[in-house]
Formats: sequence, C-alpha cells, structure tokens
Amino acid sequence: MQKNKQKQNELFNPVVLVTLGIALVAIAIIMVTTQTDSNNALTASGLTNQIIVAFVTGITTGGLSCLAVQGGLLASSLAHQVEQDYAVQSTNRKKIKEKTKFNSTLPITLFLFAKLIAYTLLGALLGWLGSYFTFSPTSRAILMIAIAIFMIGNALRMFNVHPIFRYFSIEPPKFITRYIRKTAKGTDTATPLFLGALTVFIPCGVTQAMMATALGTGSITMGAALMFAFTLGTSPVFFIIAYLTTELGVRLEKFFMRFVAVVILILGFVTLEGGLNLIGSPYSLQNLTRNWSSPSTNSSPEIVSAQQPTLEDEITLYVQNQGYFPETLKAPAGKNLKLNLVTDGVFSCALAFLIPDLDYYQMLPPVGTVQVDVPAQEAGTELYFTCSMGMYTGQIVFE
Amino acid sequence: MIKKIFRVEDMHCSNCALKLESLEEILEGVKEINASYHKLEMVVEYDENKLTEVEIVRAVKKKGYTAALA
Repeated sequence: MQKNKQKQNELFNPVVLVTLGIALVAIAIIMVTTQTDSNNALTASGLTNQIIVAFVTGITTGGLSCLAVQGGLLASSLAHQVEQDYAVQSTNRKKIKEKTKFNSTLPITLFLFAKLIAYTLLGALLGWLGSYFTFSPTSRAILMIAIAIFMIGNALRMFNVHPIFRYFSIEPPKFITRYIRKTAKGTDTATPLFLGALTVFIPCGVTQAMMATALGTGSITMGAALMFAFTLGTSPVFFIIAYLTTELGVRLEKFFMRFVAVVILILGFVTLEGGLNLIGSPYSLQNLTRNWSSPSTNSSPEIVSAQQPTLEDEITLYVQNQGYFPETLKAPAGKNLKLNLVTDGVFSCALAFLIPDLDYYQMLPPVGTVQVDVPAQEAGTELYFTCSMGMYTGQIVFE
Repeated sequence: MIKKIFRVEDMHCSNCALKLESLEEILEGVKEINASYHKLEMVVEYDENKLTEVEIVRAVKKKGYTAALA
C-alpha cells in the first residue's frame, strides 16, 4: 500500500512536472516558428496561428496570472480535503506527530477540467457577441493599460511593497464561497468542478485580454477554439504551481509567489508598453529609446538597398514580419503626403497597421501596397505608428 | 453570541482569507467568519459558551497563521 503511494508520488515528481511544462512550451514555440515560416494561405495559417499564440500565451503567462487571481478558488476546493483530515484529527483528539498527507492531484485536475469547459463555452458566447460589436484600437489600448496597472499592482502586492496594493487582490464574493462550501460539502468531486467553472467570473488580466480577442473574432467556433487553446495552455503551469504549493508547503509557496511576482511585474510593463504604443504615446519605452539608437540600426539593410526613389510628396514604409522599416521616416512638414505601405510575404501582426493620431487602422494584404493619406503636419511633429498589438512601432518625423 | 476581531498579519493573499473562513465548518460554536486579506483581519461571530479565543487562535495556528485579538 505504502509502495503504491510512493509510486504515485514518483509519478507526480515536481521535477518531472516542471520538465514536462518546459517541454510543452518548447513544442509550442517550435510550432509557432514553423507556422510563421510556412507560406500557407493567410486565412488558414492566420486562424491556426491565433490558436497557437493563444496556447503559448496561456502556457507562458496566462497560467501564472490566472493563478494569482483564481488561486483562491482552487485553494478553497483543496481546503475541503484538508479540512476533512483536520476534522478527523480534532475528533480523535490525538496528537499526530506526522502531518496527514492528501493527494491534491484529483481536485486540481477536476478544477482545471471544469475551468477548461467553462472558458470554452465563454469563448463561444464572446465570439457570438463579437459578431455584433468590435473593440476599437483605442478601447483595446485602454483595456491593455488597465490590465497592465492591475498586473503591476498585483506584483507589488506580492512583494509586500505597501498595504495599499493589497486592494489589487480580487476576493471572490463571500456569498459565493460560502454557498459553494455549504452545498458541495461531502462530495469530493463536486467542489473542484463547481469552483473550476466559477473561475469565469474572476478572469485574470491575461484572460481578460484573451476574452477581448475572442470577442474580436466574431465567430462562435473561433471564439470557443481560442479560449479552449488559451485555457488548455494555462493548465500545466496552473497545475504544476498549485501542486507544488500544496505539496511542498508554505516556504516554497513563498518562493514561488516571488517568482510569479517577478514574471507578472515584467508582463505588466510589457502590457503597459503595448497599451501606450497603441494610443501613440511618445512615452512608451520603444518611442523614448528609438532616437537614442543609431540611425543605421533603424532600418533593415536589404530594405535600404532595395528602396525605390519615391515622389516628393510620397514616403514609403516597408512592412516585414519583424516590424516596420525604417523605424524612423523623415517627411517634409506643411504639405499633404502619401504614405506607401509595402508588404511582400508578410504574415505577422505587423499587417494590422495603426496610426493612432490619425485614427487610421488598416489590415494590410500579405503582398501589395496600400496608400495612406497623411494630412500636412507642422515641423517637429512626430507621428507614431504601430501594429494592433503595440509590439512593432515606428515614427514619422516632420521637418 | 459574541463578535470579535482578530488581526492576522501573515495573510499574504486572498487564498489565506478563504482558508481562514473555512474554519467556520470546523470549529464548533462558530456562527460566521469573515476574513479579509485587504484588512489583514478576521471577524468571528461565535458562542462564547462553546468556544474560547484561545481555541480560535489555536485553530488559526493549525491553518498556518498567527491570530491576535485586535
């Protein structure tokens, strides 16, 4: 009997679980890379890419972020089993020297399974709703900045920087936790299943961003597939950390919380950067540091050599999978201009081109040229452009 | 029934509040526990004939936290 238990513990060895998690991330990254390199039709690869990116987002960031917000619900589902052990000890009134161990694998698995089903259904609902309305780049930027503030606040809370940051922690409403504890009492499977499904009411920052993406798909199937991939991606990280924290005790939990805090802090700043780029803010890190780098690093060498001379009132920007080249375009002030956006075999999010100050948004074709009318600007004006994720950026400087 | 507030300084997330509230089902004589991570405290409403402050503090200790009367 004891041998069996030992064997079970070996099966869920933390080292094996972490290695499995890392292997999954590697597979996902390889899948994304090969997908980007292939020259499949945009529609098919675009949809597959979105699903793979959702999965990678889940496995890399979503799991940690979700755990910070939804950990409470998982803890309360695990608490039921701990309470039973505690109750037995109290009733017997015996001093048990060794701590009673319980297997947290089943409740965590049930919790994650219910979560996966609930979020897939939510994705379908959002996709259906998305067919009626869409997020504008500005509202997406506001959402991203709000998410970033939430993430940074949560990281600072975990570092115990100031008591005020404790308010960034979302506490599930008392009536929900109380109701669940009372109704699910006595059934070992109902509690984690019910609580897992309940996580849809307290989505974490990254999940909310993914929900916005699902909304943007405007399709029931695509919305469901996106949320399924994302939630599936969050599961290994969620499982590993939840398992480790429940099995390895408070000391390691604190270590993991610090690790999670560092990751969330970094992600928070990355999200903030994306949000600032989306509203065309000159204070994003990319826009602040662009001018510090030498002009030669701003443009791709092949692009510079291939650049064709354009008319006096035309400027050309080359859109590539890795971003926009040159990153800084010089343009004459005081006259209306035409901006040529040239693409040739581009499949990355650089295709979703945005000039926030002109309120211009265009999904570019993978191959071709799109012309944008840029009204006359005063000398010294800097017009920022970005992709719709706020990842790739650049500027037009009028002089 | 009596209502007392306990400071629990070592709560470090909302999970802790949930864990403390689950004492409701373990401790005999407790009517309600409202724990708040934001305030680092738990409000316990209990029957003083069935339960004492010391027993509450001891139960909290078993959950891994340190409670003290506010």
